Amino acid sequence: MGHVDRARDFVANTERTTWHDEVLWFVRAKRDAAADTLPEWEALRDEAAGIKRDVLGRLPELWRRFEQEATAAGATVHWARDAAEHNRIVHELLRTHDVKRVVKSKSMLTEECGLNPHLEAQGIEVVDTDLGERIVQLREEAPSHIIMPAIHLKRGEIGDLFHQEMGTPAGLDDPDELTAVARRDLRARFLAAEAGITGVNFAVAETGSFVVVTNEGNADLGTALPRLHIACVGLEKIVPTANDLAPFLRLLARSATGQPISTYTSHFRAPRADDGNGGPPPELHVVIVDNGRSRLLAEPAFREALACIRCGACLNTCPVYRRSGGHSYGSTVPGPIGSVLAPSQDPARHAELPHACSLCGSCSDVCPVRVPLHHQLLTWRSHLAESGHHPRRRRLAFRIAARVLSNAGLYDRATRAGRWIARRLPSRWLDRLGGPWTRSRALPSIPAESFHQALAAREEERP
Amino acid sequence: MSAREKTGRKVDGDDARSEILARLEAAAPEPGEPFQRVPAPAMPDDPTSLLGARLGQNGGVLVTNASATDWPTHLDLPASPAAFAHVHCQAGTALPEHGVASRGVGLEAKAVHDLSPLDLCVLEAEFSVVENGASWHVPASALERGAALLAEHLVILTRRSRLVATLHQAYPRMTLGHTGFGWFLSGPSKTADIEQALVLGAHGPRTMHLVLLDD
Ligand code: SF4
Repeated sequence: MGHVDRARDFVANTERTTWHDEVLWFVRAKRDAAADTLPEWEALRDEAAGIKRDVLGRLPELWRRFEQEATAAGATVHWARDAAEHNRIVHELLRTHDVKRVVKSKSMLTEECGLNPHLEAQGIEVVDTDLGERIVQLREEAPSHIIMPAIHLKRGEIGDLFHQEMGTPAGLDDPDELTAVARRDLRARFLAAEAGITGVNFAVAETGSFVVVTNEGNADLGTALPRLHIACVGLEKIVPTANDLAPFLRLLARSATGQPISTYTSHFRAPRADDGNGGPPPELHVVIVDNGRSRLLAEPAFREALACIRCGACLNTCPVYRRSGGHSYGSTVPGPIGSVLAPSQDPARHAELPHACSLCGSCSDVCPVRVPLHHQLLTWRSHLAESGHHPRRRRLAFRIAARVLSNAGLYDRATRAGRWIARRLPSRWLDRLGGPWTRSRALPSIPAESFHQALAAREEERP
Repeated sequence: MSAREKTGRKVDGDDARSEILARLEAAAPEPGEPFQRVPAPAMPDDPTSLLGARLGQNGGVLVTNASATDWPTHLDLPASPAAFAHVHCQAGTALPEHGVASRGVGLEAKAVHDLSPLDLCVLEAEFSVVENGASWHVPASALERGAALLAEHLVILTRRSRLVATLHQAYPRMTLGHTGFGWFLSGPSKTADIEQALVLGAHGPRTMHLVLLDD
């Protein structure tokens, strides 16, 4: 099932699609307004992109340094080659600490690794604590956006969910009241949790620190209360020095939502201080995860995607994402960056994603770290075509197109014949031939003469 | 299949570590082009109003006309601080004549958990950042870190002499390499996960005041 098929349900509800489109465009506009407040904005993007390019060339050195510093500070560092190894390490830590209840804050990495189902299968309760993530967790869905996980839902649906799951009155759909109910429910779960799992936004080699940002403070509560903190970090998330954090943190929230900064920007380095009540000493574990990142690094055409700081700006601006919704991508990360990352994980499964794109280039324009997203999407199309991942019909169509387009006479005869036939076919039939393009829109009427003919006629008319 | 599954022994992770580092060595691109660092922007002409505006965007409130002895009377809270049963004050921030002093459950807390629910937490920033309303704070203890999150209302005291223009000036001021845990606090806990409607008090404080004191 391709992107177009998975989008069908979402686009069928015009009201929802329109709302989704407009609200994300509004977030994009807030990003523009925030960027406009900083005259040095474009220079910041250059600096951030420059730091990331530099980092990609010396990842082993930086991670060794991080490991050394973090270990010296009292953290324990683990290495995971792939998702399975990551999940095993996390489970082993929880098992040896006899943990049954875990609170987790947003981490696309653990989502990518399928950590929740893995732990749940072992009888461990995992509660996603970001409100949007909690909502999709209760609905047994995946997040549809990397920083607004429940953006595909309307308040009524969330009200219904809370009515079922938390006993709120039927029909209650006020965001303030629903949030208050979730807060109460989650506060109890924070207090009961025996371990907190977080993602990582930035790791700092020089100091062995790592930074986690949230607006809700859920990563903070989830690590301030339990004695065990496990942080899962992708290999691409490192920067050399603490000073390097400045350009990234100046860009991140402004690009994401137009805020000047996220509410909580927390810098972890050592296990949390002991409360002094005689319990076992708190522990901090960092799991460094590859899971395909080194493979992406080896691909010159795509390695710059590893610079991504997961701000979501490319999703908010993408005309396809805004109108088709995150679930239509069928990948952990949706939108332009997801369409770049997913085919490297599983080309056969995600071969269609680089085509869910109009190549308008808006994603590359907003990306704070200058990932050349639309160029990479175009490159993926040819890579996937060459490796035989395109459907047979498209391959045939392109072979024919290549022949026709490279021969002027043949092109002229073919388009003449095409116009002659197309003008005589009922438009219903014609729209069928357009495949997904014409599923929800009609082809324009076919002119009697070609562009060349029209142009020649105009030239003649000129005085 | 991993070494662990094959042999059934507990692997210390060295295999994964060396394999990942080897993969990274092999895949590493040529060193990147040199790039320009952004020079740290100067302090704006009117730092107070910019700080207030940015903090306001985060949902926080800047208090500018208060003194070190009367700031509690400038807070916009549902009740006077004296009416709160549970208060945590960072050392040096208490103002007992206005009812701001650590009291209630916090004093007997044996674990961070005992602090919930806390009415008010008062902290002192090491410095604050004008461009985004963030205040840098290093909790003195596990309880203080928890108190800042479990409180319904958060007040942060900061000083005019401790304002920096941007994050570029902020990082050189910290000693991150010696800080087990430190954070920028920039407003109340907030969410917009239900239809993008902004709600303050998602998990932590519902209000946040930043009190700017003269030196
Ligand atoms: S690719 Fe760029 S714009 Fe898209 S999420 Fe990553 S950093 Fe943001």
